[in-house]
Amino acid sequence: MVQPVIAFQDPLGQLPPQASTFAGDVDELFYFLVWVSLASFGLILALLVYSSIAHRRKTPDQPALSNTTHNTTLEVVWTLIPTVVVMLAFAWGLKGNLDQQVAPADALQYRVEAFKWGWNFYHPGATTASEHIYVPVDKPVKFTMTSRDVLHSFYVPAMRAKRDVVPGVKQIVWFQPTVENGPLLDAAGQPQTDAFGNLIGGFDLFCSEYCGDGHSVMHRKVYVVSQEQFDEKPWDLLPEDPVGRGEFYYKLNCVACHSVDGSRLVGPSFLGLVGREGRHTDGNAYTADEAYIRESIRKPMAKVVEGYAPVMPEFTEAQLSDEAVGDILEWLKTLK
Amino acid sequence: MTTYVPDIEKAPEAGSRKEPSYLDVTKGFWSWAGTLDHKRIGLMYLVGVTAAFLCGGILALLIRLHLWTPDGAIFENAVYNQVFTLHGVFMVFIFIIPAIPASLGNFVLPLMLGAPDVALPRLNLASFYLWLTGTIMAIYSILSGAVDTGWTFYTPYSLQTQQAVVSMGLAVFTLGFSSIFTGLNFIVTIHKMRARGQTWFKLPLFCWAIYATSVLQVLATPVLGITVLLLAFEHLYHIGIFDPAHGGDPVLFQHFFWFYSHPAVYIMILPAMGVISEVVTVHSRKPLFGYKLLAFSSISIAVISFLVWGHHMFTSGESEFVMLAFSFLTMLVAIPTAIKEFSWVATIWGGSVALTAPMLYAIAFLIIFAIGGLTGVFLGTLSVDIHLHDTYFVVAHFHAVMMGSTALAFFAGVHHWWPKMFGRMYNETLAKISAILILVGFNVTFLPQFAMGSQGMPRRYATYIPEWQIYHQWSTVGAVILGIGFALMLGYLIHSLFAGRKAAANEWGGVTMDWESPTPPNLYNFDEEPVVTGELYDYGHGAKH
Ligand code: HEC
Ligand SMILES: [Cu+2]
Ligand SMILES: [Cu+2]
Repeated sequence: MVQPVIAFQDPLGQLPPQASTFAGDVDELFYFLVWVSLASFGLILALLVYSSIAHRRKTPDQPALSNTTHNTTLEVVWTLIPTVVVMLAFAWGLKGNLDQQVAPADALQYRVEAFKWGWNFYHPGATTASEHIYVPVDKPVKFTMTSRDVLHSFYVPAMRAKRDVVPGVKQIVWFQPTVENGPLLDAAGQPQTDAFGNLIGGFDLFCSEYCGDGHSVMHRKVYVVSQEQFDEKPWDLLPEDPVGRGEFYYKLNCVACHSVDGSRLVGPSFLGLVGREGRHTDGNAYTADEAYIRESIRKPMAKVVEGYAPVMPEFTEAQLSDEAVGDILEWLKTLK
Repeated sequence: MTTYVPDIEKAPEAGSRKEPSYLDVTKGFWSWAGTLDHKRIGLMYLVGVTAAFLCGGILALLIRLHLWTPDGAIFENAVYNQVFTLHGVFMVFIFIIPAIPASLGNFVLPLMLGAPDVALPRLNLASFYLWLTGTIMAIYSILSGAVDTGWTFYTPYSLQTQQAVVSMGLAVFTLGFSSIFTGLNFIVTIHKMRARGQTWFKLPLFCWAIYATSVLQVLATPVLGITVLLLAFEHLYHIGIFDPAHGGDPVLFQHFFWFYSHPAVYIMILPAMGVISEVVTVHSRKPLFGYKLLAFSSISIAVISFLVWGHHMFTSGESEFVMLAFSFLTMLVAIPTAIKEFSWVATIWGGSVALTAPMLYAIAFLIIFAIGGLTGVFLGTLSVDIHLHDTYFVVAHFHAVMMGSTALAFFAGVHHWWPKMFGRMYNETLAKISAILILVGFNVTFLPQFAMGSQGMPRRYATYIPEWQIYHQWSTVGAVILGIGFALMLGYLIHSLFAGRKAAANEWGGVTMDWESPTPPNLYNFDEEPVVTGELYDYGHGAKH
């Protein structure tokens, strides 16, 4: 491994926390480039400012001080220095990237499904998806990702890891977390939120490839926990009671498009949905009974609510079991 | 030869001209709409692209105002997506690609060659009308349901969205042909219309830059045309080329798209570099430093730019070898680019530097272009790009290159050739104020974006987490400063048309042939056919080599 002699420090203090084995190397290279940039930018700026003051035209017919248009030494120098710098950056960046490409064989295997607009994370051995990711500290973890619809991109800034999720192919991303950062739970075991309603603890996970209206709400957390905590399967949060399970499935799959407070998102609000009367784009009036809601989930394109775009994705058995749909129904009945 | 000092008192009177100027020779709507004169076509483009810049700029301000609060201050997410898409389409396809070649290039190139017009005047007019048609089609797409795909039209999103992607694609197709026609015309013009005695190495650098650009336009734009056509066919008939649901490959679209759109970056920046070369030499009254190297670096940038498109897709699952190659080639582009920057600085160094309005715009260009170029190296570096890709760092980087460099060079050129175009001067004090406002506004807008991008703020977000609010607010403040700078510019330029003082025949003391024509030029430019005998960029005391 090439270890640079100088450790490049953070002159501006702006990279996210370093939480994976990649971060150190990437950041050092980043700061190397920052220093090179500041130096060459400073030089250019100084020369520009100096000559526009010192060599400025004071009388209208003042000729130039010098008419030199050529200086081989100078030109060789300013060709060679940038060449050396960019080749260094190239080689260093390539090396770091090779590490990012190949996951170790013993990495824990996760499965990820991205969709408009959310993520389903399947932890090793799990059959139900989770809303957030839990990983054990100091263990390599590998995510095999697919998309149900359009391009998305799996991005965890603190891990310096990013990979596009492309429909029709399996994409792989991996990292090895180095810093514990679990969820902050209250006495009842519920995750706490800050003044803005954001979860406390964990590293941010974003979708970084534009995917439409809910692109910016595909924000989730990567919780890094100790091996002991990990062994307790903290991701296994499926509640016992049907109503609780229904809400869980809602948060996992529907939250980007349906509100529970009556406000209009991409789709109609779930508040007071059960038994609500409405009209479809074909002009027919309907009442939202259980059968209708089941059909809306399995075949959303069959009947489209008036005033909304036909963009709701189909949820198949594999993505949302019949029992899960039943749970959602139980929970929907409580939203009045 | 003695040093030229512009003599405002002796500005030519209308009566003293041998022939009326191209502005006076005929009057009326059709004398413009049907004109074959390269200068009038250039001016029509100038008006057109400025209007497009105005629209795109207003959209940019709306974007920035929306992002004042984390939840988005103005629009629903869906509308925000349409707004940033339109901003991109207007600025890229309608404003910045034609801006310098089609407006300044059209006006100045034949003058610099000592030619009466471009080689193919009818093609030139056709190109303008294609541009106009494309623009009208783009506006139609907006009215008939808008587009929310981003200016990149990535599949399969662009195939699934309900909106007017097909008509917008056809608009881009049409605009592409306008660009090809212009490029073709300029290539022929430079080959065939040079003055007697004007060898290739006596071509002003602006001509070299336009030449390199034109080659790119002719070779790369057809790929864009094919790509948007395929996109339209996929949308309408599901031919299964880009859509995974029909056996297509969405990443193929990205390859096609960037095969054009990376060279397009150089279609934008190369002419800008040409403008800066001219402005810097004239206002420093000094021959360009390293002329041949500057000329060849334009050509080498143009050639390499065909081989780097994959650097837009480092996170899409390219193989390691492909990444290696694209990263390496991308780094190569940095070298001629650095050479150019240093050559300009060396040209100013030891010159007789006049801090005129065009020169201030050029200096602002040199500063921002340095930022854009340096941050480009970050993005060409593989492991760092994985982190920065699709964040605000990229947004800030390409605005530094497109807006802070190309648009500023365009305005430097407009200020530089304005007296030649209209025979009138603008208020230089206001012009200097606006140049400074724009330089400051640019940095206040985009430096915070570099910062939040390196922290991980993804691009194209209608809402964001509150940690980044302070950066977004600074950025919005900067955008408002930029807006004021540009509004001021528009004001004094329009004022100058009606009430500006008469410009001198050679306002800045330029020594290329564009300054030898009467001001404003005759219909066929020169009183007598010019012949090139002396050195290029000879300011009267001989160039030392
Ligand atoms: C991509 C956004 C999106 C997601 C995700 C989504 N929906 Fe929808 N949904 C819509 C839209 C838009 C409509 C209205 C148009 C229609 O009827 O298809 C809708 C309509 C509905 C309706 C009919 C509502 C009515 O008023 O008649 C039901 C029921 C429904 N969705 C349930 C769900 C459930 C349950 C989930 C999660 C498992 C879900 N949706 C996920 C967008 C979405
Ligand atoms: Cu997204
Ligand atoms: Cu590129």
